Amino acid sequence: MKKYQPWVGLVFRLIVGGVLVFAGYLKAFNPSKAKMAVRAYEALPIPVANILGVALPWIEIGAGLLLILGVAVRYTSIFSGALMLLFIVAIGQAWARGLSIDCGCFGGGGQVEAKDTKYVQEIVRDFGLGLMSLYLFRYPTSRFALEREKVAHE
Amino acid sequence: MSKKQGGDKVTRYIVIGMVIFIVAVGVIFSFVSSASKAAPYPSIVSKSDGYGVVFNGDLKGVPTVDLWEDFQCPICARFEETNGAYMQKLITEKKAKIVFHLLSFIGPESILAANAAACAADEGKFLQFHSYLYANQSPAENTGKWSTEGLVSAGSQVGLTSDNFKKCVTDGTYGQWVKNVADDGASKNINSTPTVFRDGKALNRDTEYFDPAAFAKAVEG
Repeated sequence: MKKYQPWVGLVFRLIVGGVLVFAGYLKAFNPSKAKMAVRAYEALPIPVANILGVALPWIEIGAGLLLILGVAVRYTSIFSGALMLLFIVAIGQAWARGLSIDCGCFGGGGQVEAKDTKYVQEIVRDFGLGLMSLYLFRYPTSRFALEREKVAHE
Repeated sequence: MSKKQGGDKVTRYIVIGMVIFIVAVGVIFSFVSSASKAAPYPSIVSKSDGYGVVFNGDLKGVPTVDLWEDFQCPICARFEETNGAYMQKLITEKKAKIVFHLLSFIGPESILAANAAACAADEGKFLQFHSYLYANQSPAENTGKWSTEGLVSAGSQVGLTSDNFKKCVTDGTYGQWVKNVADDGASKNINSTPTVFRDGKALNRDTEYFDPAAFAKAVEG
């Protein structure tokens, strides 16, 4: 198991980092849609939701880049884990309150018809990415990281 | 501390610095590009009506209908098919003040189409162009149907053949205005298209949008 750990770490880094960069990229260049996606959760005051809608895609891109490059993995992975927890809570509260929205994770977002909601898939996906983040937090050393292993352990 | 390890820390800070730089530039760019700015808009547009395209703005004692829409949104096309003729009747018979808010959630061709509709408004053919775009909507989004060339040829189908119109569409004369409309929609929490208000009160999406009788009753009270 120990032998495979750095390779597992590499795969998880690329999956979590790749998903974050991809998801951020899909939203970053349509700010009005991204703002709308955050507003549709009905969890934040409108001006705050609009600011978050603009900033979040770029924050995802930044965290994803650090994971892919393998720099400060311990900090970045706890951040991405916290982000996934936040997404799960946000989606869960929308579901529990009976809102019909798309999570807007990969662009899109906003109100959809009740039959088109995908809350279970969205939460399972974020939960999986969250678990991978936790693994990287616990075992931050991995193959092909830009940063040498000793530093990642600090 | 070995020399190698020190070098690695430098790598860490350089990379973190670069990533933070990318994030900061991206966030600032997005804020600036999506913010409202003073920009030209057609004379039919009223800033106090959220930069909407206004018909019968001077009428008193009639209901105000605000329609938020996106030229690439299929449900908006269905709404136009159901209620478009009735809305035009409200305008010509002076029974309501109608405000069209052209949103652009769906992407680049929504922005180009909204700009072109403002160009059509300059020539007094907003409603014709509006109907034509919905009647000829592409089944998929951003596929080139409402490229600037596509919009110029759409215009020629409703008699918009002037060089002014072509130039306005091609140059994106009202591009910033389209962003101002989007920014206004964001501040008013418009999360779906179409969204319809009568005198500031949202109509019921499930029962009043696609039933002509219910829609007319909701509008005329």
